Amino acid sequence: MLRFIVRRLLVTIPTILIVITITWGLIKLAPGSFYSGEKRLPPAIEKSIREKYGLDKPWYTQYGKMMWSIVRHGDFGTSLRFEGQSVNTIIRRSLPVSAAIGIIAYLLALIVGITAGSIAALKQNSRWDYGSMTLAMLGISVPNFVLGPILVLVFSLTLYWLPPSRWGGFPSRNLILPIITLSAIYMAYIARLARAGMLEVLRSDYIRTARAKGLSEKDVVIKHALRGGLMPVVSYTGPALAFLLTGTVVVERIFALPGLGNYFIQASLNRDEPLIIGIVAFIAITLLLMNLVVDIAYAYLDPRVRY
Amino acid sequence: MSKRRQIGLLLLLTSIVGAALSCNVASSKEPFFGKTTPPQRNIFRYVTGDEPESLDPVVSTGQPEARIYMALYQGLVEYHPKTMEPEPALAERWQPNNDSSEFKFYLRQNAHWSNGDPITAQDFVYSFRRALAHETASRNAYLAYYIKYAQDFNEQKVFVRDPKTGQFLNAKDFDEDIPAEPLSGGPLDSGPGEYSIPEVETHEPIDSEFHKQLHTPQRLTLPGDPKARNKAIDADAKLKAAVAGKEFVPVKAEDIGVEAIGDHMVRISLTQPGPFFVGLLAHQVFRIVPQKVVEKHGAVWTQPQNIVTCGPFKVRTWQPYDKLVVERDPMYWDAATVKLDEIHFYPMADNPSIMNLYKVGEVDAVLNHTVPNAWLEVVRAKQDYMDGPEAAINYMLINVTQPPMNDVRVRKAFNYAIDKNAWASWRKIVKPLTAFTPEGIFKDYPRPKGDQFNPEEARRLLGEAGFPVTKRGDGGYSCPKFPVDQVEYIYNTQDSNKAMAEWMQAQWKQNLGITVNLRNMDWKTFLNVRSKLEYKGFSRGAWSADYMDPFTFLSLFYTGGDSGSGWQDPKYTAMLDEANRTLDPKKRYQMLAQAEKFLIDAQPMIPIDTAAINWVKKPYVKGMYPNAGSLFPWKYVYIERDPAKWDYGIPSLTAD
Repeated sequence: MLRFIVRRLLVTIPTILIVITITWGLIKLAPGSFYSGEKRLPPAIEKSIREKYGLDKPWYTQYGKMMWSIVRHGDFGTSLRFEGQSVNTIIRRSLPVSAAIGIIAYLLALIVGITAGSIAALKQNSRWDYGSMTLAMLGISVPNFVLGPILVLVFSLTLYWLPPSRWGGFPSRNLILPIITLSAIYMAYIARLARAGMLEVLRSDYIRTARAKGLSEKDVVIKHALRGGLMPVVSYTGPALAFLLTGTVVVERIFALPGLGNYFIQASLNRDEPLIIGIVAFIAITLLLMNLVVDIAYAYLDPRVRY
Repeated sequence: MSKRRQIGLLLLLTSIVGAALSCNVASSKEPFFGKTTPPQRNIFRYVTGDEPESLDPVVSTGQPEARIYMALYQGLVEYHPKTMEPEPALAERWQPNNDSSEFKFYLRQNAHWSNGDPITAQDFVYSFRRALAHETASRNAYLAYYIKYAQDFNEQKVFVRDPKTGQFLNAKDFDEDIPAEPLSGGPLDSGPGEYSIPEVETHEPIDSEFHKQLHTPQRLTLPGDPKARNKAIDADAKLKAAVAGKEFVPVKAEDIGVEAIGDHMVRISLTQPGPFFVGLLAHQVFRIVPQKVVEKHGAVWTQPQNIVTCGPFKVRTWQPYDKLVVERDPMYWDAATVKLDEIHFYPMADNPSIMNLYKVGEVDAVLNHTVPNAWLEVVRAKQDYMDGPEAAINYMLINVTQPPMNDVRVRKAFNYAIDKNAWASWRKIVKPLTAFTPEGIFKDYPRPKGDQFNPEEARRLLGEAGFPVTKRGDGGYSCPKFPVDQVEYIYNTQDSNKAMAEWMQAQWKQNLGITVNLRNMDWKTFLNVRSKLEYKGFSRGAWSADYMDPFTFLSLFYTGGDSGSGWQDPKYTAMLDEANRTLDPKKRYQMLAQAEKFLIDAQPMIPIDTAAINWVKKPYVKGMYPNAGSLFPWKYVYIERDPAKWDYGIPSLTAD
């Protein structure tokens, strides 16, 4: 097990470096620069900006310098758009915002999703099943850029119950709408996965065996069925957690939250090279780690899986 | 659940949303958009736009930042809250010389930085030099190019000096086009010759070695980069002979025409007469920064723990993408006038989100152009909607370097074929534009009239250019010979730009029978394609004034400045130069107007409309006016708690 983890972690490093390289290349290919504006700059001013940020150097020098700084010091450099702010500081500052909303949305999605999915499976073809699956279908089909504004329209602009946007600190009432918006689609997926997984497991031989042993229905469900039935949920929730933690572009934008996702979209539009690379690398690392966690969880949940 | 039940559920959901929407519509009978409860504390909550790039006033070119800098920093002058004309700030008064090529600014004695240090003339010298320094790489530096040798310093150029005599070569000996020297470049003639108004303080030292030096004829400058310099020298035999045996002296910060005379006087010498120059000085790039703090902390001097400012407010906390809180600065020279305790700037970019926040009463005012098109109908009817002319125009650029658009007749035809009046009434808040300066902004400026909508003339011109337009059986037109694949309209992705693109496309199709392809792209790509002329035909263009003078628009097509159209004409540049050398403001305006007429006749662009401001502020926000630049001197803004004194409608820009 330990060997497996170490091996996987070692593979992570070249993967990240490749991700950074590809991102860097794509930014270089993208037209436009962080300093371009409505009125074109006089050439002399453009030159001084390029010199100030080392953009006048040949590409291999720029690439080498960036890579060295990342590998040697873990330093992604300074944002081009936000003068004097280091990328590491920006990530450190915005991650807690994304993570706070993400984790709560994740837990909410897990609790509601698994409960609804399991109930639907246990009471297949009942009104519980149809009701929760209809909602799940809606949750999957309504994108969050539609759901968010609808929630704002109802709860903020019409009822004046909750603030329509902005980060009000943690915890605060401001976060209720973004969390619901964010978790809806995950909740729906998890419910459907949990239902499907449970249905399959409930028909399997070992559940029949458990029932034949005379175990109570509660024990059958909680001790045996859930463990196997949730396997699909587990493999889905690992990457889902990674995405939730690192911020979601749309929800942070709609609700004006100072999270990673907000920075990410802005950095791309601003051609803020170091910031884009920093955030992409961070998301990649989180994603790879979460996948590792999922694999470990598999080993725990399914006795057949051994590394 | 049966199908019927599912439909029932859907209906239920739709009806909830529908009910919510109808509540919203029902609220349209109310006089204001959303809640009108003033904040409990004496604070003002404002959305100024996206996250500021930096709190350093020389860094950002944007208007969102400009409004933040107006809270934190001051320069010699400040924008008037209604007219945007310069009003005294750190300079309590000023005096131009007889041809407006040199200015003396008399500083206040009681101005202080937020850390208590006195503000002196030296602070201006430092800040101007810093703004222009190559290392600072300020994108706004070009606005200070009117100052003598400022451009040469910013571009790292060199003077040419004779090592034996110490004499510098003069520019006028090598360039026929150099205009007659302004007074600031002539021999020093202090007293009535240069300044018509006699000096007020007799004890002030009028003259200095530096001043005398500035008052010598303009020196020749050459590129600092040896490669570029040798190229320039090789290209000119006379120059080559003259520089032989001479040495090259870099233009230093100390050479630019900004001088501190004592602690409380700043003298600025320009390369040309600049009657508009004082108005320009309110721009962010001319606001002063604290030398000691900048030098001590470097790039992080603007972080809240380091920053020192000189405006009516100072930084209290700054959480990027969340909020910037500034509080009243007791050290500010006019602290008694400042009415608010705090301003909270919320960095936001999504218009509907901003308007939502405004509606529920969590912000007290929002930035310009936040009311989405689809909301205009409702919001315009409210008494908190701010309407008025804006010092900004929308136009289309034409790439004149490629056929068929290199033919002025074709360009004119496309201009004639657009009914701008119809556009303005459809867009509701803009005014049709036929010239290149905004309507209703520059008082006494004789704006020339451009071509009006005239589809027959458009078709005639196209025919003359070799693309005959024929009438089809169904009443429409067609122009089969026109190379449609050689023309497109590009714009940056945004709903309002798309609407305009489609509208113009429809006009051309209807009146000329030509369907121009539309192509949209993200902002940075768009700028790149446009400035490199990688587009065929038309491109979206918009400009808002840097300062309150027609020249800020006309200079877009000045040689060297880039228009994105590929059009340049030395004659046009010469007309502008001559106008700017003219002392009489009325005469100068007439000459600028002639230049503008010349420009619109050449038609390197198609004027579309004069923009209008469109933003909202709560009725209890007073002292904030819908001025043409949407820039607000914050010291006048306050929260009025007595509903009888609220603004019911747009506050007047003229009444005092």
